[in-house]
Amino acid sequence: MTHSLHRSGDIESQKKDFNWFMYQTKGVNDKNIKPKALEFIAAAEAVGSENWGDVKTGPITQYSVEEIKERISDKSRIRGVFTRREQVVEFLKRIKEKDLGQSVVITGVLSEVLPACEEAGVTPHSINYSLGVWGKKDNLPDDVTLSITTMCGHHMIPPKFVKHIMEQVEKGRLTAEQGAIKLANFCYCGIFNQVRCADIIQKNIKK
Amino acid sequence: MTVINKEKCTGCKICQIYCTVDAIHYADGKCYIDQDRCTECYVCLRQKVCPRGAIEPVELDNFYKQFQHVMSDPVENHGVTGVTGRGTEEVKTNDVSGRVKRGEVGIAIDMGRPGMGVYLRDAEKVAMAIVRAGAKLAPAEHTPLAALMPDLSTGKLVDECHHYHLLSVIVEAKCREDQLKDVLQALQQVEKEIETVFSLGLIMRVDEKGQNKTLKVLDELGIPQPHRGKVNVGLGRPLCTE
Repeated sequence: MTHSLHRSGDIESQKKDFNWFMYQTKGVNDKNIKPKALEFIAAAEAVGSENWGDVKTGPITQYSVEEIKERISDKSRIRGVFTRREQVVEFLKRIKEKDLGQSVVITGVLSEVLPACEEAGVTPHSINYSLGVWGKKDNLPDDVTLSITTMCGHHMIPPKFVKHIMEQVEKGRLTAEQGAIKLANFCYCGIFNQVRCADIIQKNIKK
Repeated sequence: MTVINKEKCTGCKICQIYCTVDAIHYADGKCYIDQDRCTECYVCLRQKVCPRGAIEPVELDNFYKQFQHVMSDPVENHGVTGVTGRGTEEVKTNDVSGRVKRGEVGIAIDMGRPGMGVYLRDAEKVAMAIVRAGAKLAPAEHTPLAALMPDLSTGKLVDECHHYHLLSVIVEAKCREDQLKDVLQALQQVEKEIETVFSLGLIMRVDEKGQNKTLKVLDELGIPQPHRGKVNVGLGRPLCTE
């Protein structure tokens, strides 16, 4: 699954959008992962991860932290969001020091992520590079909608629901932040960046 | 299968804005689901969008319907790979699994993404195109789509699956670095022959600065250099150094 890789939108906006992941490898380190997952969560919380979750339960925008932690199993996938490079650096330093042996992935704009790796003292092993969208693009949603829907790489966020939320914000029935949370709740993984989303909504609603 | 119970539906159309692929239509005062287009992503069910509870799941009674649902709903684990979402590992654990080694390029073609969905007949066209260009498709223990391919050396899918519509599915393969140009040229051709989109990822081992010179081939083909990446930072153990 490449669900965090192909985000779109304004590059400066993408520079405030990072995803962190802990992965277990089948047959190698995929048993009794909960203690390690809790260490990852502790590191993420310590540096202020704006959203995180487990696809088996959901994101912290919708479920309590206690519930998500309680339900962690060996099938869980723990991942989340940062909005600043400094958070990435500090998170990587903490995880490196713990030496947990799980795979760690950071997704984002490479001109931000690679310097963060260097500063944290970790060495990139492999990269999945995004070469963008190919094929019959005529029927894709507009760029603003895509910049929001692609923050849930599994595409659980319906484009028409994005328009609905933006209309609600325009009419003053929701704030941009409230609208962003409603959208974030569709992304079970917890990798939706609701901070960036609120910013996108605010910049694109009809005043 | 997901259906709308006509006895319960009041025709309010609220559900339409919650469909990821615009498969909910309205006629004669009631909403209904276009079964050819529905991907069984279950967003409409999970979000409990119908105030009357008219949207109902129906048992997925054949392998292809179950495959369609598992690929379209990230909450489900794929039975063979054990991975959630679309069931592939790509770069996530490459520091431990060593699936893509130095001199190789992993190819992750995310069919139907972003948001258009994909009929499996289009996934087949793409798989067959890259095989002809020299790529080797990932086997069933690594990637779900291979379960529908009797012969990985062709990329052809079983005919029975062609009309199933998935939210997305990944065509996953590998090639040598010196074959990448041919594979990309094949993709430049086949992208004109499909009715949907795909998002393309290339997985490579990188040097300590996070670079790989193989990406220079993109300039020859007029493909923009990537600005986004999913970086495996090499903290998994035991570390694969190949």
